Amino acid sequence: MDTPELHTRCTIVPPYLLVRLAKLDEPRFAQAAAAARASLLRDSQIRQLRGGVHPFAYSGARTLPARTPGDSDRTISDADGQERLPGRQVRAEGHPAGVDPAVNEAYDGLGATQTLFWTQFGRDSIDGNGLPMDATVHYGKQYDNAFWDGERMVFGDGDGQIFNRFTISPSVIGHELTHGVTQFTANLQYQGQPGALNESISDVFGALVEQHTKNQSTAEASWLIGEGLFTVQVEGVALRSMKAPGTAFNDDVLGKDPQPGDMAGYIETDDDNGGVHLNSGIPNRAFYLVADTLGGNAWETPGHIWYDTLIGTGLNRQSDFAAFAAATADTAARLYGIGGAAHNAVLQAWATVGVVAASSAPVPPARPAPPTPPVAPLPPE
Amino acid sequence: MKVIVSRSGGMAGIRLTWEVRVEEQPDPSTWTEFLNSLPWDDVTDSEATPDRFAYRIRCAPHEVVLAEPQVNGPWRDLVNRVRAANGM
Repeated sequence: MDTPELHTRCTIVPPYLLVRLAKLDEPRFAQAAAAARASLLRDSQIRQLRGGVHPFAYSGARTLPARTPGDSDRTISDADGQERLPGRQVRAEGHPAGVDPAVNEAYDGLGATQTLFWTQFGRDSIDGNGLPMDATVHYGKQYDNAFWDGERMVFGDGDGQIFNRFTISPSVIGHELTHGVTQFTANLQYQGQPGALNESISDVFGALVEQHTKNQSTAEASWLIGEGLFTVQVEGVALRSMKAPGTAFNDDVLGKDPQPGDMAGYIETDDDNGGVHLNSGIPNRAFYLVADTLGGNAWETPGHIWYDTLIGTGLNRQSDFAAFAAATADTAARLYGIGGAAHNAVLQAWATVGVVAASSAPVPPARPAPPTPPVAPLPPE
Repeated sequence: MKVIVSRSGGMAGIRLTWEVRVEEQPDPSTWTEFLNSLPWDDVTDSEATPDRFAYRIRCAPHEVVLAEPQVNGPWRDLVNRVRAANGM
């Protein structure tokens, strides 16, 4: 690939402001956004040459001087049916596709996730600093699962009776990688409501990976997580529905999709780490409702609100649904104006799913949208 | 005597339960001996990690909850035996 020419120059605009500018999707800021993106690319190269630490770097990040920011750096390994990681390397970045669909799907899904996070949110890989994306396929025998182990994505082949291979769905691949992003940002503990938020954030960005790849608007998208994962023997279309939680499957063996779509259906359970995959239906639907109200592409305004909330300072490891609702409302107000369409859509969504009282939404405009872009707080070091 | 293995979580979040009635097995004494040999009181809590399975294993008066990476050795043997007895 070509390496852009580097200029020795001092940068006066702080990188965090460039990131903020680069992410603006309003037409009136288009020129500023394009310039900021160009500057970010250039500055990132300079910072790498300086050997300095990226301003968004987290512990464990590393610099790769030869790499252009935003480029994928994928490695796919094959566990050959064992439960040992990482397995045998079968495809590295830039190598051509082979005959194994699981390898190809994992490679493409990792690339699609990197593309979404980089082009839409200015985030370079899982850690925000170009962390290589590693995945292992064919993990275990008839293994009915996919997971993020803290360092890599791991995908089973499924049992062939209920589940197909887990790489078959781009939303599942995006879901697993987003667990990595959450680990490097809000790091929500995987239990109870923070755990259900952790799950929901993975579903939100998993769905956005799929929608962005297919260029589907909110109205065109399925809002399903894990579409195609069930075999034809299962009565169901996917694992979960963000648009209509509780409707993804209804099967003799698996039973009915148990996800609630509002707080009235909240499930108290000791299983599944306190129902993290069950109660995630509530914040999932809140995100869908925001997207549905605003229309257009969900990775734009709705995605930016959720992403900025995830990387901001409004969350901690123990944040519950109410705290997350408040944080997303604050982010929407900060980015798009108090009482603006986005802010009201967020408040209304959380009221609809019963997380906040209905009386708090919507808010009449207190003032017009700010003429200058607000500045996001720096993520924690 | 009854042993129940319930697997929840996983990326799919679908709970599956397998059950064995020891007295109905062809080798009940082997089952009883094996169940009595399990380290029921040695299970420690472990931090949950995203999308891994969680196993709840019940055999009165015992009940343990194991994170997927803890299902090794005799616990793995138990899960495999219970699933096999259920045709899985």
